[in-house]
Order: sequence, then structure tokens, then C-alpha cells
Amino acid sequence: MSPSLDPVALEILRNALTAAAAEMDVTVWRTSRSTIVRELLDYSTAIFDAEGYNVAQSARIPQHLNSMSTGLLTVVRDFLPLDGWGDGDVVITNDPYCGGQHIPDILAFRPVYAEGRRVAIVGTLCHHLDMGGMAAGSYAAAATEVFQEGLRIPPLKLVKGGVLNEDVLAMMRQNVRRPDMLWGDLQAQLASLSVGEANLRKLAGRVGAATLVEACARILDGSERAMRAMIGRIPDGRYEFEDFLDDDGIDPEPIRIHAAVEVKGEEMVIDLSGCGRQAVGPVNATLASSGSAVSYAVMAIADQEIPPTAGCYRPVTVIAPEGSIVNARHPAPVANRVAVSHRLATTLLGALHQAVPDRVPAAYYGVSYVCSFQTIGADGERGVLVEIEVGGSGAHADTDGLSGYTYGMHNNSNIPVEMIESELPLTLTGYGLLPDSGGAGRQRGGLGLFREWRIDSVEAIFTANLERFRFRPYGLEGGEPGRAGALWLIRDGERRPLGSKVNNLRLMKGDVIRLETSGGGGYGRPEDRAEAARRTDRALGYVTA
Amino acid sequence: MSSPSHGASVSITPFIRIGIDIGGTFTDLQILDERDGALRSLKTPTTPEDPSIGLLAGLREAADRHGFALSDIRLLLHGTTIATNAVLERRLARGVLLTTAGFEDVLEIGRHSRRDIYGLKPAHEAPLIPRDRRLGVPERIRADGGVERAPEPAAIAALIDRLAALEAEAVAVCLLNAHVNPAHEQLLARALRQARPDLPVCLSSEISPEIREYERSSTTVLNTLLMPVVGAYLQRLTGRLAEAGIGARLLLVQSNSGVCGAETAALQPARLLLSGPSGGALATLRMAEALARPNLLGVDMGGTSYDVCVVRDGAVTRMTQGEIDHLPVRLPMIEIRTIGSGGGSLASVDEAGRLKVGPRSAGSRPGPACYGRGGTEPAVTDANLALGRLDPRFFLGGAMPLDAAASARAVAEHVGAPLGLETPAAAAGILAVTDTNLAAAARLSLFEKGLDPRDFSLLSFGGAGGLHAIPVAEELGIPEVIFPADASTFSAFGILHSDIVHDVARSRVMPAAPESLPRIGDFLDALRQQGAALLDADGVAPADRRLAVAADLRYRGQAFELVTPWEEPAAEPAALERLLAAFHAAHRQRFSYSNPEAPVELVALRLSATGLLARAEARRAPGRGAERAPEARRVWLGDGWREVPVHQRERLTGRIAGPALIEEEYTTIYLGPGWDCAPGPEATLIARRAGTEAAR
Repeated sequence: MSPSLDPVALEILRNALTAAAAEMDVTVWRTSRSTIVRELLDYSTAIFDAEGYNVAQSARIPQHLNSMSTGLLTVVRDFLPLDGWGDGDVVITNDPYCGGQHIPDILAFRPVYAEGRRVAIVGTLCHHLDMGGMAAGSYAAAATEVFQEGLRIPPLKLVKGGVLNEDVLAMMRQNVRRPDMLWGDLQAQLASLSVGEANLRKLAGRVGAATLVEACARILDGSERAMRAMIGRIPDGRYEFEDFLDDDGIDPEPIRIHAAVEVKGEEMVIDLSGCGRQAVGPVNATLASSGSAVSYAVMAIADQEIPPTAGCYRPVTVIAPEGSIVNARHPAPVANRVAVSHRLATTLLGALHQAVPDRVPAAYYGVSYVCSFQTIGADGERGVLVEIEVGGSGAHADTDGLSGYTYGMHNNSNIPVEMIESELPLTLTGYGLLPDSGGAGRQRGGLGLFREWRIDSVEAIFTANLERFRFRPYGLEGGEPGRAGALWLIRDGERRPLGSKVNNLRLMKGDVIRLETSGGGGYGRPEDRAEAARRTDRALGYVTA
Repeated sequence: MSSPSHGASVSITPFIRIGIDIGGTFTDLQILDERDGALRSLKTPTTPEDPSIGLLAGLREAADRHGFALSDIRLLLHGTTIATNAVLERRLARGVLLTTAGFEDVLEIGRHSRRDIYGLKPAHEAPLIPRDRRLGVPERIRADGGVERAPEPAAIAALIDRLAALEAEAVAVCLLNAHVNPAHEQLLARALRQARPDLPVCLSSEISPEIREYERSSTTVLNTLLMPVVGAYLQRLTGRLAEAGIGARLLLVQSNSGVCGAETAALQPARLLLSGPSGGALATLRMAEALARPNLLGVDMGGTSYDVCVVRDGAVTRMTQGEIDHLPVRLPMIEIRTIGSGGGSLASVDEAGRLKVGPRSAGSRPGPACYGRGGTEPAVTDANLALGRLDPRFFLGGAMPLDAAASARAVAEHVGAPLGLETPAAAAGILAVTDTNLAAAARLSLFEKGLDPRDFSLLSFGGAGGLHAIPVAEELGIPEVIFPADASTFSAFGILHSDIVHDVARSRVMPAAPESLPRIGDFLDALRQQGAALLDADGVAPADRRLAVAADLRYRGQAFELVTPWEEPAAEPAALERLLAAFHAAHRQRFSYSNPEAPVELVALRLSATGLLARAEARRAPGRGAERAPEARRVWLGDGWREVPVHQRERLTGRIAGPALIEEEYTTIYLGPGWDCAPGPEATLIARRAGTEAAR
């Protein structure tokens, strides 16, 4: 043990690294331009050791945070080796097949140097409003190749030695629907990286480069130790579970997600070989994305707090055959990769419920309800809105689920109605909880919600990538599943159902789109629900019958 | 009631000004005799069931002890936690919320995002008004202020009819886009007041006329549910004051660090939510002025929490939105960062071998292990005691002997053994983790504004502050630490020196460009009129008025605005240019870049109307007596035990060098090696890192 790094000094450094990630987070939040970043909060910030292993995270989105290390390691292993990085460089990519997840997410990394050596890397991931491609928001529901999904940026230096590559930026701006938003949010990313870099350089200056590097290694080891101890307390055994995705938007067949979790001593093997083959439509995930879902599920069942770092991944082995929906092969489309992640999470939690029943609730809604609107004015002016909504969470053995609350793989806010209406020719005609959508049970699942948008522009183009319209969020121990989601077009007073995947639907002025999200699953038999709880449900209108 | 030697009869005008800070345990008073500037303080037990009882007892005791009549009191400045505690304990009125039909659940849905991202069982509180008491009004206003659907009188009447069955005690109204056009809210208010004059009503367009419906609803609901609670308290208090023959003017401390009259406080009680900590910020500001230190970081460390505020360029930093118990409150308030770290915070080691301190606290029952009340886990106070930094015989001025052996045992068992450390090293570890937590909170407060700690002095107060201020300053790179006199009644001292402040705003998104100048001119006129009317109502003379304008600006597309002060505001191109230049500079300082070419939007104009209360210079008694030969005791200093001198604060007259301890009645100051310390102006002690110069 190096004398400068007793447990106390280590804890102090860990706090400093987490504080740096939090300061980067605040910077993105306060300076970003698009509603998807600044209101929905679809971004994450993290700190990595000198080799690219994640050592500290902001409290943002698990889907991002546990994929960023994999992404960075892929970039430096296969594309831009670290010895070619220099002070003042910023490396970016959004390519799902170069370490990214889907086209809208731009990963940006900046190395930190002290005493002539690289001591850390800081990173920011932002979901950008639009990166071009066949649908607004780069979220096409009908893409069959990644080439259709938007502009792909291979790993490259957007900034080299502090100098912005204007040519690359011009190329990017030319290919997207809202270049002002892209540049505004990119600037927020760059500002966040410079804040993180300055902080870490100061930290290295204070404790010394060698100590900082040593601390990172020890932080990773500490997480691994805690993770091993936690797994060690789970009964050995093999736990299997399956759940389904409705379809891929092209082929109507359901897609099976299956996990076999083998717990043996202090290690876990997660075999995803039972998952369906890669899809024709954009419901596919790369390994960075699927690995993130595995990490989330295992970290979420911890009975004690474990510092979330790349060290947590070490005792967990993932088997995911190439060409399957959880490890798609180029050039499969991947826009809706989060659907796979959500379903992987509910499947893994379902398996783990068998091992640690009191810690795992019934299924949450398990969908990022992504709806994108491109409004077109009389003068041809276009506006873009990307919405991500949520549903109800699953009930626990002793508590009801939460209604309309972000859960699981993502962690978004909603966009204020007044913010949308002040910026775009859209009017929200309703937003509220959906009675009877929570799965019945001794403990009731949380309620899903509804949201309605009316088109006020001459026309608009609508795209949706939804799930759980057929396979409902499961209940546990006799609890019933939550209600399925639904999507409606209301035109001239007439309601028409839309499917869960809608690609570039033309809408006219006055049309209303109504989204209904799933509630969570119930826990325990409905007949065992306490009478007082039933009365409250009825009084508050959570349950109408 | 008055002492015979100080007959109230001889004085014609009342001359006593009293600052009152009601805390959980004690009610602190600072009493200023405006005739000669004599300043005195007093502590009396708080009466939580009705704090006005303790307040009156304090006033009587002060009058008796200091020889004035209750009728001599001219001004009562009152900081209160009544609103805060009512929210934290959910002792609130039974409210009804009227919303735009179809949006009744906005209050319950909130903004979705969670803080503990890996937790499967997030804590989530029920909304303050449950679903069956949220009623939809069939109406709609568009984002441009146009009316899409006007509410029918019959529909309004039907809603009002339901209030009785719902047993409403207060009604909140928050309609969509009411910040742009309040007509429908006002229509409802008129109907409500006519039909149910007994019910308090609060409109979102009055309390928080700004965009984002959830934040506006939350603020409106909090305010509504507090109206009956705070109203009743103020009624009791004014009743008791009248009974006691006190004709003094009563002013309440608001979250924005200014005071307001009791009528305003009763109508807008949400403005009192940070009234308590405001006192500390005011005191920090007062010290910044008195000591000519325009950049001061004020830290208040008590038993359970650590509050940080920033005075920058001679002004307390403020924000336009804060929260209480995770509920957004969108009103101007001083910026206070609070973390759960104090003398009672407990230390433990988890299975990953991490030493953690707080936020769990031993509270006052059982309290730290050394209190001997059954606590076995080590608290920060135990670590200080185990290292000799506290004197077990001199805690609270000797009123409460401490058990040093119990502290050492707790530290050894819960931290030393699991980490394989000797007891002193384990206790030092607890303090090191604590000090870095405190420093991180302070650093974030400065960082968020792009400020450099080296440009600041640290002002330490609160009972537990003295032992940690120097290590925190070391950690932050702050070269100077100031310890005010009466650290434990310091907030009341701040309250004593407050001014009347009214914050008013107009919110509308528009380009910050010449084409908006006519509208900007209208807004400026309206704000000035509103501010003047409020100060008229307070009877503030024209010479004592100060109006300050600020604009909330952002680059088009951003969600968050920088509140940019506007010097010499005017609806003229040159004035607008100056404002924009200030915005670009502020953005660069805060976020490391600016876009001078990019379009800028104006989101709100704000006016702070200040009514200066007469400044009365306070005069404290100078230090008494010559310096006594200091005692010494064994203190652990990182590498081993050393004999360290222990001084009594009131006897300090000259410079002393660290390491040293300085004791006073309610607190102890730890002066680390490499620091020295001497009495400063205003009865302060000022510590500096050796080799650094006096304040900038």
C-alpha cells in the first residue's frame, strides 16, 4: 500500500472524481440548447482512468454510463490508439459499430495530462436532437440498415491540440435537420470536457500524477471486491427467465429475450444465447449497449451500495453470440437499441428475482416511449421535437409501484408543456395518469400515463418507436401484468389505433396523437390486497372498477 | 416591566431594535440600542408548539436584563423556520388545486427523473394535494396568450360548489400559460373570493409568473398550503405583542435575505422557506461590509448540517429557484448549499472498506458516544474529542462533561478495527473525510459560478464550525479564515441588519434585440411602478429606496438563463448593448465559452426594490484583560501527539501561532500548524496562513 494512499486518502480522491463528474454534468445541463438535452436530460458524464476504464459517474443514465467505458476501449483498441492522443484533443464518435450505441448519441472524450503523462480521460455522452437520416430525431422505425439512420461519425479528433476542426463540423452541420441545435449541444459537451479536464489536472497537481493513477486502480479494485462479496451472498444456482419484444417494426414476429444467470461463488455468467436473431428493423443492440443492461441489472440488485465503476463488470461474464439481437452485426439498424436494453433489464431482473426475491420488483414499463414530430410551417419552416415518456414501475413485495416515474435503464425528465408550446406549433391537449393501467396485486403496479399532442402547423411528420403493446410488463408472485401501451391518431373526432412502430406518418393541422404508456406489474395475489388500499385506489381514481 | 433606573417614560421615540432567529433548540436575540449602538445578545429556549411564546419570553428577559421597557422596542426583525418546518413535517392546510382540464396530474407526475439511479426502490413522496382534490377547469390559454377556450361561468360555479364537500381550507390555482395571460386565473379568483371569502386563494400568476407548469404548480401549491399556517402564527404573534404592549414594527426575514411586513408574509409565505438560513447569509454580508472583504464564503456548521453561502463583490449570491424536501420552489432566494454534515454525523466503514461520514446523524439523542446517552457509533464530535481538539470539561462552557474514553472506544471499534488503523489515525481519518466533504460542498458553491476559492476569505460560524474551518480552508486553498464573535447567535446578528426587499418579475420570452425595446420599456415601467407601490405600502422614504434591475438571458435554445444585472437599465439600444456585453462575459466566466454572434433571448426582467432601514452602528465591548498564560494539552497532529497551547478567546490580545486551540463558551477553534491568528475589527479573530498577506 503506497503511504500516500491510505483508505482515507483514497476515499477523498474518489469523492473528488465523483465531484468532477457532477461538475461536468451541471455544465452540460446549464448550457445545452435542445429540449432533449436540457429538459429531458438525455446525457451523461463520466471520468475514466488513463486507459479508459470508468472510475466515476454522474447520476444520470445507466444505459449510457455503463456503455461509455466499452465505447472508449473500443475506440482506442480498434481506431485511435491512446499513444496518438495529445493534450487539448477531443475525440468523438457516434458510430454504433465503433463503440457507440445508436446514431443520435455522440460520445466525446478528452485526455488529461500531468507531469508529462496521461493520468485520466473525461467523457460526455449527449443524445442529440437530430443526426439526419430518414426520420427526424434519427429514430426511423423502418430502417433496415444503419446507413439509413443518420450521419455516422467514425472516431476522429473534432479538436486537435485545442483547435476545432471546422471542416468536420461543417460536414456534420450539413447533414442534420437542426444544425444550430447540434452545434449548441456540442459546445455544451466541449465545455463540460474542459471543465472536467481542468478539475482533474488540478487534482493531479495536488496529489501527484502517480498517486492519482494508483487511486484509479484501487477504486476499480474496490468496486470489484464489493461486487464479488455481493454476488457471493446470492445463492448459487442457475436462474432463467424470458420476456418478449413485440416486433421490430418490419417483421411482425415477436422477439424472444432470454437470459440464463449462473451464480457460482463470487462470479456470475450471463448467457444470452437464447435471445432472438438480429432483427431486420432497428430493434437491435450492439454489445456496448447490451453489456450496459447487464451491468445495470446486476448493480441494481446489490444489497449494499457499491461504487459504480468499470471494476463492477469484472466478476460478470456475458455470453452473447454475434448476429443475435443483443450483439448485432454491421450493418444492422440500431436506432431503437434501448428497447433491447429495457427488455434485457426486465428479463435479467426476472431471473434474479428467483435468487433474491425480496429485492426485485415486478416489471416496470420497460420502454423509452420515443415519439418524434417534425412540424412543417406554411413557409416550409421545420421544427423538431423528440419526446421520451415513461410509464409505471412494478410493485415490490411491500410497496405499490410508482406512477409515471422514470425507472430502469433510462433516467429522463419530461419536457414542460409550456416549453413545447412556446417553441413549436404544437398544443398539448392532455397529460395525466392512466387509471386502471397498473397491474393488480397485493401491491399494485404503478400507473402509466397518457399524453396528447395536437398539430397546429400546416402539416407534420410523425415517427414512433414503442413497445409493450402486446407483451405486458409481468407481475410476480401472483400479481397481474400492467396494461399494454397504445397509440392513437385522432382525426376529425375519430380515433384510429396506430401500431407501436410508426414511420414518417404525415399528419395534418388539427390531428391529435394520443400516447398511452404501460403501467407496472403487480406483486402478490390481487385478492390479498388490503381493503384500505382498495378504497384509496378508488377514491383517488387510480382504479375505477 | 421596565427597570426603574431606565424609565421608559423619559424616552419619546422607541430606540430598541431586535433581531430574532428561532432555531430548533434555542431562540437567539441580538438587541441593539440605537441611541448608543450598544449590542447585546441573549439565548432562550425555543417553544416548538408555538414559537411566539418563546419569542415573547425572550423579549421580556431582554428587557429585564438590559433595562429597557417593552414599549421601547421600535423594530422586531424576525427569522423563522415556521414555514420550513410545516413543509418538512407536512403540517399543512388541506388544499384544493384548480388546473387546466386534462392536466390535473401535472403535480403528481412531476419531472420524472430520479437521483439514485441504481436503486430499485426509490423514495417518492405523495403529492401535497392528492388526486381527488385536483380539479380541472375547462379552459385553455395558448402560449402566445391568446384564448383558445374561455371558462364558462356555469363550469366555474360547479367547481366552487365542490369545495365544501372536499373540505377545502385553501385553494391553489395554476392554469397552463397563465404566466403569459393571467386572465383566467384572475377570473377564477374573483369568483372564488365572492363565493367563499373565507378561503385563502393563491394564483400561480401572482406567486411565480414564469414558464414551466410543474415548477409553477409546485410553488403555488406550497404557498397556498402555507397561507393558513403562517397566517395563524402571525396572528398569534401579533396578538401576543399587542397584549404585552409592544407597538414595534414586525418584519419577517424572507428567503431572498430581505425582510417584508407581516401582511406580505401572510399572503406569500413560500417566500419565508429559507428565512432561517437567510440570517446566516445576512450576517456574512454584514461582515463582508464591516471588514471590507467583498468576497466571503460563509459556512455555518451545527450538529447535523453544514450550510454554505457566498458573498461575491459585496452581494449575497441568489438563485431564482430552489427546493425544499425535493419540491421545487421557484422564488428568488439566497443560494445556500446544505449538506448533512455536522458534529453529530456518524462515521462507519462499509464492506468495500470505504470510510463514510454522514449523512446519518446521532442527533441530540442519543448524540455522539461522548455524550454518554447510549450512543456507541463514533460521530465527528467523538473524533475531535479523541484527538484532544475538544476539552471534555469545557464543552458548552463546561455545562456538559464529555466521556473521552467512550469516544475513543467508538472510534476504535467502528473505524479503527475494520481499517486496521490505530485509534488516533482512525479519528484523524474521520476528520479528513469530513473536511473534504465540507470542502467539496463549498467548492461546488464557488465552482457553479466560475469563482476561484483563492479570491475568498472563509467566515466560520455555528457551534461546530471552529474545529473544521482551517482544514477546509487548506483544502480549498483559501488563505484567510474569519471567526466572528458570538458565533452561536451570529444569524440573529445578520437579521438585525437587514433591509426591506421586494422582488418582482415579468416573464416573457423575446429576442434580446432592438425590436423588443418597446416591450422592454413597458416591462421596466410596470416593474418600477409595482416596486414603488410596495415600498409606499411599507412607508419607505424616497431617499431610502434602491431599485436594481436584472435580466434573465440565454442563448436562443438554452433552457437556463443567467441572471444578468443591468446597470442603468433603459429601453435604449446603448443600454441593451451594455446588458448583452455583460451577459456574454458572465457566460464565459461561468461556462468557459461565449457566442457573441449567437442570438440572445430575454426571458424575464426582475426588479429588486430595497427599502433601507436606518443603519445603526453597533458597538461591541472591546476584549477584556491581558492575555493569560495559556494552558496546554495533548493534541494529535497527523504524525503524533503534541503539547498544544489552549487559549481563551476573550483574553486574546495579540497574535498567536498554530498549532493552537482557542476556546470560547459555545465553540472551539482549531488553529492548524502553519497558520496564525489575531483579533481583528468587529471583535473577530482572523487567521491567516503564514506567509500570506492581509485581505485583498
